[in-house]
Amino acid sequence: MAATDVFFYIFSAIGLLFALKVVMGKNPISSAFSLVLVFFCMAANFVLLEAHFIAAMQILVYAGALMVLFVFVIMLLNADVKSLDVGKKPLHYALGGAVCLALMALVVYALVNGTSFSEKAGLSAEKIDSIGGNAQVVSLMMFSDYILPFELASILLLVGIVGSVALAKRRTE
Amino acid sequence: MEEFIKPQNLSLSPQQLSVLMPYLVVMTGGLITLLLGVFRKAVNMTVPVAAFSVLTMVLAAYSLFLVWGEPTVSLFNDMMVVDNFSNLFNLIFIVATGLVIVGSNQYLVREGIEHFEYYSLMLFSCLGMMFMASAKDLIVLFIALEIMSIAVYVLVGFKRADTRSNEAALKYFILGGLASAILLYGVALLYGATGSMNIQALAAAVQAGAASNLLFVLGAALVTGGLLFKVATVPFHMWMPDVYQGAPTTVTAFMTTGLKAAAFAAFVRFFMNLGYGADLSSTLYSGLYKVLWVSAIATMLIGNIIALTQKNIKRMLAYSSIAHTGYLIVAILCGGRSEYGYSSVLVYMAGYVVMNIGAFAVVAMLSEKNDRHTNIEDYAGLGFKKPLTGLAMTIFMFSMAGVPPTVGFAGKYLIFLSAVQAGEVLLAVLSVLCSAISAYYYLRVIVFMYMKDPVPGRAMNHTLAPAFVIGISAVITMQLGLFPSVLIEAAKKAAMMF
Repeated sequence: MAATDVFFYIFSAIGLLFALKVVMGKNPISSAFSLVLVFFCMAANFVLLEAHFIAAMQILVYAGALMVLFVFVIMLLNADVKSLDVGKKPLHYALGGAVCLALMALVVYALVNGTSFSEKAGLSAEKIDSIGGNAQVVSLMMFSDYILPFELASILLLVGIVGSVALAKRRTE
Repeated sequence: MEEFIKPQNLSLSPQQLSVLMPYLVVMTGGLITLLLGVFRKAVNMTVPVAAFSVLTMVLAAYSLFLVWGEPTVSLFNDMMVVDNFSNLFNLIFIVATGLVIVGSNQYLVREGIEHFEYYSLMLFSCLGMMFMASAKDLIVLFIALEIMSIAVYVLVGFKRADTRSNEAALKYFILGGLASAILLYGVALLYGATGSMNIQALAAAVQAGAASNLLFVLGAALVTGGLLFKVATVPFHMWMPDVYQGAPTTVTAFMTTGLKAAAFAAFVRFFMNLGYGADLSSTLYSGLYKVLWVSAIATMLIGNIIALTQKNIKRMLAYSSIAHTGYLIVAILCGGRSEYGYSSVLVYMAGYVVMNIGAFAVVAMLSEKNDRHTNIEDYAGLGFKKPLTGLAMTIFMFSMAGVPPTVGFAGKYLIFLSAVQAGEVLLAVLSVLCSAISAYYYLRVIVFMYMKDPVPGRAMNHTLAPAFVIGISAVITMQLGLFPSVLIEAAKKAAMMF
C-alpha cells in the first residue's frame, strides 16, 4: 500500500466518523464543529488527488466562511437541545435509514462496477504542472471555456442576496 | 498554455449578440428594477417598478421577434444555443411573466405585500427559465435552474405574515434543494463517466456505448429524477398542492406555467439530443421508457382523481396541474415515434400556460384579503353577476378539460394522436379516460357559476389590470383553439431541430 493510500484511509475514516457525529449529535454547535472537521478531511483527500486549489477553496469557503455563518446562525437562534427534539419516530427512522442505505448501496455498486473517465482530454497531471498549477488552469478555464456558467453564477448570487433581503428586511409600515 | 486562452469564447460576433438580446434585455430589466426600487423612500416605487417590468417584457418580446426564425446560433463554447426551440419557449416564458406581472399589483396591494423586489425576482426567474431552455451544458442547465428556483422560493414565501405562505416556502425550499442536490449528483456522475457535461457529447457517448456503463446509467437516473421533481410527477408531487395553495395566487400562476414550461424545455432538449425514442433497444432507453411510462400513468390518475375531491379552487388547480404534467409526459414518451414529434409538448405547454394564467387571474381577482373566497362555492352565480368574467372562466375551464374549440383541445388532440401513432394504445386510452374524469371537476366550477344562486354579500370586485389579463388570456385561448395551425407550425419548426 502506497503512502497516499494510507493517508486516504486515515482521512476518510476520520471524515466519516465526524460526518456521523454531525447527524447523530444532540448539540447543534458540536454538530457544526464536526462538520468543520469533515470539510478538513475532504480537503486532505483533495490534496491527495493533487487538486491543491480545490483543497484550499474547500477550507477557505466551506470550513471558513460557510461554517462561521452556520455557527453565527445557531448562536443567534439560541436553539436549545429541547426545541430540536422532534420526538422518537422509529418508523420514520427505519424507513429513512433503509432508503439511505439502499441509495448508498446503489451508488457504491455503480462506482465499483462502472468505468470512470480517467482525465479530461489533454489535461494530465504533468500538463497541469507545465502550465503553472491548478489555480492557473482553473482560472484560465473559468474565464474562457466556462465563462457563461461563471457569469450566470454571479446572477444567481445576486438573486440569493435580493431574495434573502426581501424576506428578512424589516418593513417600515 | 496558449490552447487554454480562447479569445473566441470571450468575444461575441454581431450575430451572437443579436440572438442574445432577449436575455440581455430581461437581465438588464431585472437590474434596473432593483435600482428603481431604491427610490422608494421618496415615493412608493412599486407601481413604476411594475410598469417598468412590463416594459421590459415588451422589449424582450420585441427583441425576440427580431431574431425569430434565425438559424441556430451556438454561444460561449457551445454552452448554450439559440434556436427555434429556445425561441418558442422564450416566447412562452416572456408572455407568462408579462401577464403575471400585469395582473399582480392589485393582488399585492390587497395582501399588503407590494414590494418592488417581487418584480425583480420575477424578471430574474424568467431569465433563469430562458437559459434553461437554451442550455446545452448540464452545468449551465443547473445554474439556470437554481436562478429560477431560488427566486421562486422567495416569491412563494412573500406573504411573510401568513403562516401558510411560510410553510409553503419552507417545504418548497427544502424539497427543491434536495432535488437540486440529486440532479447535481447525477451531473457529476455523468461527468465522471464520460468526461463531459455537454449534452451533445453525452449523446455521442451514448452512441459509443456509454449506456452499458453503470456510472452513466445512475447519473442519467439521478438527473431524470431531479427533473421529474421539478415538473412534479407522481411520486414527486407531494409538495405541490401545499405550495400552490400557500403561495400568493399570482406566484402560483407563475409557478404552474413558467416553472413547469422551463423544466419541460430542459427535459425535452435533454431527451431529443440523446435521441430518445428513435431506438428503444439499449438498456438506458428501455429503462427511461419504463420509468416515464409508469410515472405518466400514475401522474395522470392520481392528479385527476385527487382533484375530484378538492373544495378549494387553488388546490383543485394544483392537482389539475399535476394531471396536465402527466399528459405532457405522455407527449415526451411518444414524441420521438410519431408524426408531430415533440411539437405536441410545445403546443400543449403553450396552451396550458395561457389558460392557466387566465384561470389564476380570475382566482386572484375575485379572492379577498388573506386568500378568502377561494372555494369553489364562492363562484356561485358568477356567470350572472359578472357575465364577461364568467364567460372567460368558462373558456378556461373548457380549455383545461379539452373541449373544442379551445387550445386545450388542440394540445390534447396532438398528444393523443402521437400516442396512437407511437403504438401506445393503452397510454392513449388511459389519457382519454383521465381527461374524461377531469371534465367532472372543471365543469363543476361552471355549474356553480351558472346554476347556483350567488351568495348574498359576496362583492366580486373587478379591477382593470387583472381583467385585462383575463381578457387577453381568453382571447388567446380561443384564437389558438380556432386556428391552431400557427402554433403547430411554429412548434413543428422548433422541434425539428433535432
